[in-house]
Amino acid sequence: MTMAATSHDKPVETAAPSTPRQPNRTALLLAPGVLWMLLFLVAPILMMVYVSFWTQTTFKIEPTLTLSSWITFFSSDTYLGALWTTIRIWLIVLVSTLLVGYPAALFVGLFVKNKTLSTALLVLCVIPFWTSFLIRVLAWRPMLGKEGAINMILMKIGLITQPIEVLLFSELSVIIGMTQIYCVFMVGPIAFMLGRIDGSVIEAAQDLGAGFWRIFRTIILPLSMPGVVVGAIFVSVMALGEFATSAALSGRKLNLPGNILVTPGRSPRWAFAAVAGVVLTILMGAVVAAMLRVVDLRKEL
Amino acid sequence: MNASGIKLGLGFYTALFIVFLYGPLVVLAILSFQTGPEGGPQFPIIEWSTYWYKHLFGLTPPSRIAPLPIEQALVRSLALAVMTMIVSTVLGVTAAQAFRRKFRGSGVVFYLIVLGMMVPGVLVGLGMALVANTLGIDRHWWGTAFVLHVVYTFPFAFLVMLAIFNRFDPSVEEAAWSLGVTPARTFRKITFPLIFPGVLSAMLFAFTLSYDEFSRTLFASGRDLTLPLAIYGTFSVEVHPNVFAFGVLTTLFSFALLGTYAVLMGLSVRRAKRVAIQEEA
Repeated sequence: MTMAATSHDKPVETAAPSTPRQPNRTALLLAPGVLWMLLFLVAPILMMVYVSFWTQTTFKIEPTLTLSSWITFFSSDTYLGALWTTIRIWLIVLVSTLLVGYPAALFVGLFVKNKTLSTALLVLCVIPFWTSFLIRVLAWRPMLGKEGAINMILMKIGLITQPIEVLLFSELSVIIGMTQIYCVFMVGPIAFMLGRIDGSVIEAAQDLGAGFWRIFRTIILPLSMPGVVVGAIFVSVMALGEFATSAALSGRKLNLPGNILVTPGRSPRWAFAAVAGVVLTILMGAVVAAMLRVVDLRKEL
Repeated sequence: MNASGIKLGLGFYTALFIVFLYGPLVVLAILSFQTGPEGGPQFPIIEWSTYWYKHLFGLTPPSRIAPLPIEQALVRSLALAVMTMIVSTVLGVTAAQAFRRKFRGSGVVFYLIVLGMMVPGVLVGLGMALVANTLGIDRHWWGTAFVLHVVYTFPFAFLVMLAIFNRFDPSVEEAAWSLGVTPARTFRKITFPLIFPGVLSAMLFAFTLSYDEFSRTLFASGRDLTLPLAIYGTFSVEVHPNVFAFGVLTTLFSFALLGTYAVLMGLSVRRAKRVAIQEEA
C-alpha cells in the first residue's frame, strides 16, 4: 500500500502528524448531515405539533393557540374510526407478513446450504422493488377484480360458480396488497439472522435427540427474533403511514388517518390534518420504541 | 428423516411465495398487450397488440383516453433522483466517516439520522407543507420535495457506509498519515477507492428510493407532477392498460439501471483485486 503514498511528485513533509485533530474534524463531518436533519426533519415535525394547536375556521387557519382541533378529533366518530381502522389493519398486516414471510425466510436462511442459491432467492424476492410501488399496488386490480385472474381460475377449476366480489375494493384487498408489498421486509432481516445461526448448534441438538419443533422453538425462533423485530419495525412504519394502497384497492371505502391527511385535497384543513399527523407520530414512536427495547439496532449492523 | 420432509415442504412453500410476489406483475404484463382502445384492463385478452405501448408515446390516433402525462414527469423524477442521490451519498459518507471515532452524543446523532427513514412520508410531507405555508415559500419538486427526499435516503446511505466502515482496515490510512499525507488526500487516494463499492450501493439505494418516492412528494412538490404522482393521478379515474404498459417499461428501465450497477460493481471489484495482486508481487 505504500505505493499509493510514495508515488506522488511532492516530497513528503518531515513532520508526521499522527491522526488529525479529532473533535473538530468529527464536528465538521457531522455538521451538514445533522443540520439537514434538524432543518428538514425535526423542524417540520415540530411545526406539525405547533399547527395542531392553531385555530381552524372553515376557510382559514390562525396562529391562536387552542385545543379545539384536538377535541374535535377525539369526539368525531369519523376520525376515531379511521384511527381504529389503521390500528386494526396495521396489526393484521404485521401478523400476516410475519406468517407469510417466516417460512420463506426459514427456507432461504437455514435450509438452503448453497450460498449462491440463497442469494439468488433473496435477489428474486427483491427484484419486484424495482417496479414502482404504485404500479405494484395497481397490479392487484386485474388479479382480484370480479373478472380478475383469481376469480377466473377458481371458476375454471370449478371451485366456485359465481365470482367472489369481496376480493376487490374491500378491506381484504387492502390487506392482501399490503401483505404482498411489505412481506419482503420481513423475509430479508429474518433470513439474514437465520443465516448467522451456527449449524453446529442445531446439529448438537439433533444429536441429543431433539425433534424439529423442539429445535425450532428453543433455538431457531429465539435467535431469529432480532430479524423479526427489525422486520416488524419496517412493516409497522410503512403500514401506519400508508394511504396509497387503500386509495388503489379499497375503492375509497376505507378511512385511514393517512387518508384524512390526503383527502381534503387542494386546501386541506391543516389543523385537523396536523392533529391526525401528531397522533400517528405518537403511535409510531411508541411502537418503534417498544420494539427497540427488544433489539438494539446499532449492534445488529 | 423428519427434516428432509420439512425442507421439501418449505421449498414448495417458498415457490408459492415467489408466485405470490410475481403473480400480479405477470398478470399486469400480460394485460398490457390488450388490444386498444376498446380493450379494458381485464381478462380475457380480446386480441394481442402493442396498442397501449404506442399510446404511451402518442403514436396512436387520438381517442377518448387521454395519454398519460409522463413525459415531463419522467424528466423531473430522473433529475430529482440524481440530485437526491448525489447529496445523500455525500452526506452519508461524511457522517459515517465521523462515526468511525467514538464521540459524545453519538447515540443521539445516530437516532436523529435513522429517524429520517423511520418517520412516514405523509408526516414529514405534511410538516414540510405547513412550514412552507407559514413561511410563505412556494412548494416545488426541486425545493421542498428534494430536501425531504434527502431526509429519507440519507439514512440509507449512512447505514450502508457505516456497515462498510465497520469492515474497513484503518491501518492503511494510518500508514498514509504517518507518511505525512494530508487527510483530504488520504481520503481521495486511499479511503475512497476502498469504499467505492459501498458508495455505489448507497447511490443505488438513494436513486431508486427517490425515483419511487411518493408520499413525501405528494405534499411537498406543489403543482408540477413527478412520475409517482402522475401514476397516482390515474388511481382515481378509470384505469386503462396504458398504465400497465408503462409499468412494464419502468420495470425494464429499472433492470437496465440494476445492470449498470452490476457492471460498475464488477469492474470496481476486479480493479481492487488487481491492486491487491500488485501489492503482493
